[in-house]
Amino acid sequence: MTAISLWVNGALRQVEVPEDMPLLWVLRDVLGLTGAKFGCGVGVCGACTVHVEGEAVRACQVRAAELGPRKVVTIEGLSPEGRHPLQRAWLEADVAQCGYCQPGQIMQAAWLLAKHPRPSARQIDEGMANNVCRCGTYQRIREAIQKAAGVVE
Amino acid sequence: MRAAPSRRRFLAYGVSLGGALVVACRATERPGRPSAPDAPQPPGAFRPNAWVRVGQDGRVTVTVGKSEMGQGVRTALPAIVADELGVEMAQVTVEQASPGPAFGELGTSGSRSLRTLWEPLRRAGAAAREVLIAAAAARWGAPAGECRGEQGAVVHGPTGRRLGYGELVAEASRLPVPEAPRLKPRRELRLVGRDLARVDGPAIVRGAATFSADVRVEGQAFAVVARCPVFGGKAARWSEAEARRVPGVLAVVPIGAGLAVVGATTWAAIAGRAALEPTIAWDEGPHREHGSADAWRELGRAHAGPVAWLGEGAAAAEAIGRAARRVRAEYAYPYQAHAPLEPRNATARVREGGCEIWAGTQGPNRLQEAAAKLLGVPADKVVVHVPLIGGSFGQKSEPAFALEAVEVSKAIGRPAQVLFTRQDDLHQGRFHPASLHRLEAGLDAAGRVVGLRQVAALTSPPLAFGQPMSDELLRGALSGAWDSPYDAAASAAGLAHVPLPAPVGPWRGVANVSHVFARECFVDEVALAAGEEPLAFRLRRLRSRAAFRGGRDQVEVDPARLAAALEAAARALGPPGAGAAGRGRGFACNVYDGHTYAALAIELAPGEGGRLAPWRVVCAVDAGVIVNPQGARAQIEGSVVWGLSALWSQITLRAGRVEQSTYADYPVLRLGEAPKVETLLLPSEAPPVGLGEPAVPLVAPAFLNALFAATGRRVRRLPLGAADVAWPAAGRR
Repeated sequence: MTAISLWVNGALRQVEVPEDMPLLWVLRDVLGLTGAKFGCGVGVCGACTVHVEGEAVRACQVRAAELGPRKVVTIEGLSPEGRHPLQRAWLEADVAQCGYCQPGQIMQAAWLLAKHPRPSARQIDEGMANNVCRCGTYQRIREAIQKAAGVVE
Repeated sequence: MRAAPSRRRFLAYGVSLGGALVVACRATERPGRPSAPDAPQPPGAFRPNAWVRVGQDGRVTVTVGKSEMGQGVRTALPAIVADELGVEMAQVTVEQASPGPAFGELGTSGSRSLRTLWEPLRRAGAAAREVLIAAAAARWGAPAGECRGEQGAVVHGPTGRRLGYGELVAEASRLPVPEAPRLKPRRELRLVGRDLARVDGPAIVRGAATFSADVRVEGQAFAVVARCPVFGGKAARWSEAEARRVPGVLAVVPIGAGLAVVGATTWAAIAGRAALEPTIAWDEGPHREHGSADAWRELGRAHAGPVAWLGEGAAAAEAIGRAARRVRAEYAYPYQAHAPLEPRNATARVREGGCEIWAGTQGPNRLQEAAAKLLGVPADKVVVHVPLIGGSFGQKSEPAFALEAVEVSKAIGRPAQVLFTRQDDLHQGRFHPASLHRLEAGLDAAGRVVGLRQVAALTSPPLAFGQPMSDELLRGALSGAWDSPYDAAASAAGLAHVPLPAPVGPWRGVANVSHVFARECFVDEVALAAGEEPLAFRLRRLRSRAAFRGGRDQVEVDPARLAAALEAAARALGPPGAGAAGRGRGFACNVYDGHTYAALAIELAPGEGGRLAPWRVVCAVDAGVIVNPQGARAQIEGSVVWGLSALWSQITLRAGRVEQSTYADYPVLRLGEAPKVETLLLPSEAPPVGLGEPAVPLVAPAFLNALFAATGRRVRRLPLGAADVAWPAAGRR
């Protein structure tokens, strides 16, 4: 077990965890932030996507003890009231079916828009390629990203 | 005034859940009996029945009895109640039912929710409205007939006076509840037929929605289970020492399914299991040699063995024998996994004499009964909560996965969550069965179908679960085969059940998936043998057939409605182009379980990377009244993605084990591969029927028929390989 300090959603959190423990389980089981979901544990589904220093990462693939002073933002901290343009666009397009993958999708899309504020269709395809939605909401995810970016297909 | 609150008795029990009072009500009792003296008095709310209550603040709470796994029941079902009651969705709070005497069976399956609850929920809302109107009319001294309920208030037509529902709670609670209230005519319904946003949407996009795996109970431990990788095997010997040295590991607990490793966090449990597993000697049981090739061989052999028939097996065989032309083909559909993004998990808190369970289950009643039996307590001592489910698709119907949490909690004396990892979820699945289909048809000289036979060899889930063979069972097990909608002089469907080692269970679209795949591909082959265009062939054989009985409930099926859907899809696709190279169109249609009429058209075109891909996808459905068009379209869009994924995925077996472990080797469609789906919801005044599954079985045949049209290649075995969709097609012309 190792004591670490972690910046999460703007707050410094002190936790004692095994040194190989992925960030995902620190968030979910220690800090009670369950917005990042467990989907595969091997970084192929994107359900656990969070931001580290603004970059989308798979929380199941990052050891919490190795983060140091880098700042983590989860879906709970993406915007104060859930009013991020993507969150609004997601509601407008009524994207969610079961909804389990959507926090990861939104965090991934937020990074995509940070890199490409007006993404092309191909940039959306590639930027979202590693986020699985088993309900098949892809057509609305695309629509919501385009809406949030002010891009009309 | 004499207080005779007949509906006090509706209050069956209340349990505390996170500070909120969750109340289930009894719907079955008749008014007029004196209330039980010990029945707790509902605090200041009007509760005419189990589904709806109105608070003094005018807030309406609707209880949903179906599990939400993405199909939109928590939006559509309350909308039905709200519409009859005369309130907006913004005034409605949605509550999830727990099994109890107030409700009947809460199980969610078979695209049945809307179909079976449409009438009861309308009555529930209408009864509440009529009582509130009676209360207002009494206060005004006006005839009830001059009043109406709208936007959360009773309005007196002639004077325009209004009383909010909340203001009428006290008086309404003293009035009898009508058993046969007047239902609003269709034109008076304002929510039904309107696009409604998912009620859980705002919580979902903030990461605040509670899915099954997000349940956190005071003092909860986290567990994963080491289960034998071979079907039916079990742990013989093991050593706990290594696992117990892993930081955070609390216990190793033998349970029915295997060895549960309990930790302070999920990660500790996972790490502990990794340390435990090398020490386990498995008793692998009788299936340790079983592989996919064995399964396919057994299925092939079964076609020579006994077949259980529905329809005119002998007559069809004879007609085919005498036919001018015969067509035969064999189709193969592989094992498939559900692979919902949220793997199976449950949380249980076992205490002296009972327990509480939180589980994303499609069958809360079965879970309640099974847990009660396991613990040796009466069913009413087991409270089952159903949080949001991160996808299920038939997987989370069986109670077994949730019972693991009950066993662990009981053993460690504190609440426990058991989570399947992704690999656990794929290895320990109940799969859509692999199947081998043989179809034959006979055509007379005029091109009429004189005989049609469709036989499937597979492990049929209901028989594997031990249900006795019957015609009723066969009507489900042969859904889409025995009730083929096409005109044929004699037809029959047969089942050759093969009890193979791999566990099987319901999978989105159930038995229809493989039977309709085979049937709709075969229809194309028969059409071409008859020298007709597949679309025209279908339309002609649908229109020449009279109404018949289909589906598990043997309801009347009107083939003309299916023809209309098929024609609508074809019309939306537009006239065929000039036959551009690599373009091809395929069609498929089906009446799902006798209820939902669905047709799908797929046009393939050469896409990126030298492969054919869906260019247009049009789905037309006649599903009766569409309660929430936006939700209905979402189900069709999702069904198409589901079906396209299944073209490429399969579960394979080797040495008694599943070979796939994650989304890398059990691939599902990604955003860039998902086509835009155009959904046509055909206008209908028939009562609503389900939409979660009916389009799924159409995807494979429409795709493969389009592939044939584009390339001349007839693929009869799934999954597809890259060469199947290569363009330009290798070695063609």
